[in-house]
Amino acid sequence: MIPLQYYLLLAGILFAIGAYGIMTLSNGIRLLMCVELMLNSANMNLVAFSTHTNDASGQVFALFSIALAAAEAAVGFAIILMVYRLRAEIDIENVNLLRW
Amino acid sequence: MVDYTALAPVGILVVTAAVVLLAGLVVSQKKILGYITLVGLLVSLGLVLANWNIHVIFDGAPFYGAIVVDPFAQIFNAMFLTVGVLVCIASLKAYGDHPRQDEFYSLMLLATVGMMVVAISKDMLTLFIGFELASMATYAMAGFDKKDPKSIEAALKYFLIGGLSSSLIVFGMSYIYGLTGATHIDAIAAAFAATPGLASTPAALLAITMLIAGFGFKMAFVPFHMWAPDTYEGAPSIVSALLAAGSKKMGFAAAFRIFIVGLVAMKVDWYIAFTILAVLTMTVGNILAVVQTSVKRMLAYSSIAHAGYIAIVFVIVSYYPAPDVAVAHAIAGGLMHAFSHALGKAGAFIAVAAIGYMILSKDGKVDDPNHIDNYDGLGKRAPITAFLFALLLCSLAGIPPLFGFTSKFVLFLASIEAGLLGLAIICVLNSALSVYYYAKVVMRMYWGEPKGEAFIESPTYTFALAIAVIVLIVLFAMPFVTPGDSVYIWAETAAKAVLPALEV
Repeated sequence: MIPLQYYLLLAGILFAIGAYGIMTLSNGIRLLMCVELMLNSANMNLVAFSTHTNDASGQVFALFSIALAAAEAAVGFAIILMVYRLRAEIDIENVNLLRW
Repeated sequence: MVDYTALAPVGILVVTAAVVLLAGLVVSQKKILGYITLVGLLVSLGLVLANWNIHVIFDGAPFYGAIVVDPFAQIFNAMFLTVGVLVCIASLKAYGDHPRQDEFYSLMLLATVGMMVVAISKDMLTLFIGFELASMATYAMAGFDKKDPKSIEAALKYFLIGGLSSSLIVFGMSYIYGLTGATHIDAIAAAFAATPGLASTPAALLAITMLIAGFGFKMAFVPFHMWAPDTYEGAPSIVSALLAAGSKKMGFAAAFRIFIVGLVAMKVDWYIAFTILAVLTMTVGNILAVVQTSVKRMLAYSSIAHAGYIAIVFVIVSYYPAPDVAVAHAIAGGLMHAFSHALGKAGAFIAVAAIGYMILSKDGKVDDPNHIDNYDGLGKRAPITAFLFALLLCSLAGIPPLFGFTSKFVLFLASIEAGLLGLAIICVLNSALSVYYYAKVVMRMYWGEPKGEAFIESPTYTFALAIAVIVLIVLFAMPFVTPGDSVYIWAETAAKAVLPALEV
């Protein structure tokens, strides 16, 4: 059996990749993918803990979380599509009408 | 047979949302959908008030305790529904001729449902689902003016930061689950209490950092606030009202449950974090609000400052080694301030919507209808709106006889009572600073030179503003009229519902 730490490490790496991407990338779709990566790393944690402790609630949480991530992606793509229709690009560096 | 009446307010809203969405497909006169929404919200609010009880009216036995309707949930439900009613009345005017208004109303109802689910949740899973439901509905609402680049930009920023905050929250929750093996908030607290060393493990610290950051984004604490002014300014004004008054308070409802109940064993860890966050949030929010030239953006920054005031609840709770009277007062004050800020800010954003609408329809094309220059002489051009707006700003500034004064008073008093005198002084100084920018708007409205002839004031907007002001005055007057049954007593019972250990 693979030790729990390996799963947590992998989830941590995925989370870090997602967070790094959010901070450095500027393409809307890529940012969305990074958010998904972060959400899914949390799901991996949940399932790993759930298997480790023999408690099903973590897997239930992960299932709900996957469904929510899908719904969130749908809303996100709709918003990015509107940006594309208005500006013919999805580079968020150029979406800067509002600033202080 | 289990009595489900306590859950009826949420159920009614879900049904109304479905009815509005489906009816939108067949009805040609879409204006009626707004009234259906309003009726649904009012019935729901009526049920919440009719079942108003100082006890737990639904203990969630059929849901394994995941859904609990206690006084804390009732106060938040009443707050979200009142905000919903105000926003709905305003949108009758703002979106009365919009071809897609059915979608707007059902999104608004679903956002309210999500907030209410967060308030009644005692399990991380239901709490997260409600949180996401409200967030997703509001992402779409922020970008509702699809042709307006500002609105789309607001939605994009709100969505990206919202997605980031959700992933931080669920990552933190996954570690909490791993440490305690539970998702129910009481069970988490019990697990932490049973194993004293658990709270200081690195995994627990990681989890709490993630949760503070995640909820901090939602509550717009500095330095997680960058999205808030942009989103509140760019989104349609009545959506900003829902965001600032509803969505942000939902963050507080969730954070109160998770931190004060679930992670109370780790309060040593979050004491410093929340002290710094609270002081930074109120100071930065107020200072940046002073320099704004757009009234809407000023309200957004003031909303950040108010989040800082409410955040001192966490500081006071974590300052005490054991639950105490001061802790109960602090939570009660926090709830009251959340309520007064929700009403005042929702009203203020609706007033901005009303004034923007009048300016655009009368003065024609202006660059930014929310610019402070356009507010010159509004006292003469639109006397009723200006008067009500001034009263709402007074409530936000904490000037009697409005509820904003009571709530700020209780909150700051709790800080003094707790012995955190320095924090109380910072709060009062900040509050004094905030009077400057609120007064600036009132001054421009009453002493500025009118830029044109009088406006025709929309009765719908005025009605929504009047309701907000009347509720604020009634809540202020309540302790003097019915001392045994005032809002303060409710808030204190709610505080005890949050912390059952409080024997006050």
